[in-house]
Amino acid sequence: MRRRKATFALGLATAMALTGCAAGVSDGTVTIHMVESLTNPTRTAVLKTLIAQFEKQNPKIKVDLISPPTDQADQKIQQMLQSGTGIDALEVRDITAGPWSTNGWLYDMSKELQSWSGWKNLTENAIKYSKDAKGRTDYIPYGFYGLSLFYRTDLVAKKGFKNPPASWDDLLTQATAIQDPSNHQYGYAFRGGTNANSNAVAVIEAYVADKIDLDNGFKLTDGRTIFSAPEALNALNTYFKLFKQASPPSSVAWGYPEMVEGFSNGSTAFLLQDPEVIATVGQSQVINKSQWATAPLLTGPSGKAIQPVATAGWGTAASSKHKAETAKLIEFLSQGEASTTFTKENSLVPILQGASEDTFYKTGPWASYLTMTENPSKYITVTQPRSSSWWTEWIQKSDAEVQKVLLGKMTPEELLASWDTYWTEKWKGQ
Amino acid sequence: MTRSTSERVERPSRLGSAPPANMADTRPRKPAFTTRRGLGIAAFMAPAVLFVVVFIYYPMISGSQMAFRNWNLTDLTDTSWVGFKNFQAMFADPVFYTVLGHTAVWVAGSIVPQFVIGFAIALWLRRHFRFRGLYQALIFFPWAISGFLIGILFRWMFNSEFGVINDLLSKAGLIDQPIPWLADPKTAMIAITVANVWYGVTFFTIMILAALQSIPDELYEAASLDGAGKARTLFQITVPSIRATLSLTVLLRVIWIFNFPDIIFGMTGGGPSNETHIVTTWMISITQQGDYGKASATGLIVVTMLLVFSVFYLMATREKKGAKS
Repeated sequence: MRRRKATFALGLATAMALTGCAAGVSDGTVTIHMVESLTNPTRTAVLKTLIAQFEKQNPKIKVDLISPPTDQADQKIQQMLQSGTGIDALEVRDITAGPWSTNGWLYDMSKELQSWSGWKNLTENAIKYSKDAKGRTDYIPYGFYGLSLFYRTDLVAKKGFKNPPASWDDLLTQATAIQDPSNHQYGYAFRGGTNANSNAVAVIEAYVADKIDLDNGFKLTDGRTIFSAPEALNALNTYFKLFKQASPPSSVAWGYPEMVEGFSNGSTAFLLQDPEVIATVGQSQVINKSQWATAPLLTGPSGKAIQPVATAGWGTAASSKHKAETAKLIEFLSQGEASTTFTKENSLVPILQGASEDTFYKTGPWASYLTMTENPSKYITVTQPRSSSWWTEWIQKSDAEVQKVLLGKMTPEELLASWDTYWTEKWKGQ
Repeated sequence: MTRSTSERVERPSRLGSAPPANMADTRPRKPAFTTRRGLGIAAFMAPAVLFVVVFIYYPMISGSQMAFRNWNLTDLTDTSWVGFKNFQAMFADPVFYTVLGHTAVWVAGSIVPQFVIGFAIALWLRRHFRFRGLYQALIFFPWAISGFLIGILFRWMFNSEFGVINDLLSKAGLIDQPIPWLADPKTAMIAITVANVWYGVTFFTIMILAALQSIPDELYEAASLDGAGKARTLFQITVPSIRATLSLTVLLRVIWIFNFPDIIFGMTGGGPSNETHIVTTWMISITQQGDYGKASATGLIVVTMLLVFSVFYLMATREKKGAKS
């Protein structure tokens, strides 16, 4: 009898463990598993604070935040989505949204968010990115990334320039003037390593600004690729001159960390980066706040600049058993104080209308973003085909080819021909 | 209750009774195999076998079948069988052959210095001196660090503008211009190999030191009395005594270095312009594109190559052993 009881108890315990039967479930408490992707300690801390506020407002919902290391996060999320367990809310990036949605891993939140009052407070861009081409709401953006030029005010003034560079040609002139390798002073923090393609594409887009397709930043209005335009070669010639004349030779291998370090430790005078760098440069022990500022994105010969929009947001896993509760969490994070706190603390362009009226966004390094927002005909926002399923393949191909040009193994003409063929064939196959 | 055969066989030796006079072998007899004994052995082995099957063989077989399917994470709605298409795509890609060449340089460039330096340190540590334990701990320390972390550390050390390597070389008067270590394909390969040598020396030291400690001191004393010099002692006593360990260690390290993308990923990510990609980093970059079919095909090619190498290597080392005997 005792043996039978023990067996029964053991069986019950095993069953409870296997089914994840927790004490909380019996009192109606639901636990949402949330996974973030672009993890960093500061951001995770902010997110935890916001989650605590949400839990306080919703005592029957608990949120378990999972923060894998950034480098492996998307792969980890993919595995969780594929297995169909242990994930409710997740961070969806514009580059992961396409494939994850195609595989049926993301839940279309249209139904849950239909009556959400927060829609009316979102910016035009936030609403646009909340719906995909098929009208699905796979994620609500939490903020936007956008390029601006970080520059050394003291070095620019020392060389007799009254204003920071406004165009790519200005940048080449000023960076060349500042370059002094014998004193370990370089002009531009060139991106030759991981994601080298992004700045090369930015300069090409600026040079073809008058005829670019706003819905596809890699396409001209006549349907051909931007890489086929004659202006693209001029753009690349200027860009690669910037490497030869005004950048550290080792920047062939520079990715995000080296670029930011190069600017923060005073080695380089110019840096093209997202606003998240504001906080990092602000902590520099080598240059103080009076020695640097930001300027709007560089223009091409037509006086226009093209701002590629990059974003990420919060979505729901198709396998989630708590879709309504997850939608509640996403609504909370996408509105009011929670959204503003998240964008401010993470140096993101806000998703809420009027948030840019905050003095935070009007002063200091953020002022250039306001300038860009207030001049939409000069600083034109375009959508890049970042949700294409072949985007990662493109990144790897284009990065390697930019490095080939820098190492003299390929000409800019060959690079443009290669990129033109690549995208033309991809679009044909769609 | 009847006594089992094995117990009956073992009993005389346990009692210590003398073996028959015509019995030359006095070793205890192997217990006879019975069904009950077999079941016992199976029960003890089952958890380990289950673990290996579930966590090694199942994922391996499951992963291998992707090599013959259209398995792309960007679109899993069509994962149909494609035969050898993924293998054909790999063999048709010229980068694959370049990457194979890099892999050969990476393995050879790493294994030789690791072996020589590891052997030298092991010989040095075999001697008795003060704080030997501390030195041992310091030398073994790198083995405890993650390869990816080592890659990131060396990436900053080899940074042309802010790195300590150029700084030291400059202060020593050896260079007047910073060397762009990771920006030039040739120096980038040297840099990643240096990092790998630093990391891998430890393993050789650990293995060789353990083997050295099994050589009886009497052999060295006898050699000394016979007037053998240091070189002769090394090549006629030390090396032959630990030949098996050396062979096995080299084999293991070749396989591991071949399969070791961590440092390269941390330092160069396979760049500049794919010039430091080895087969395994190349395979990871394919998985990052979501093409698990092609990546799995690459994985199977790697396994086949290593299997063939291991067979030839073991045959070669066995021949030497036979010739010696």
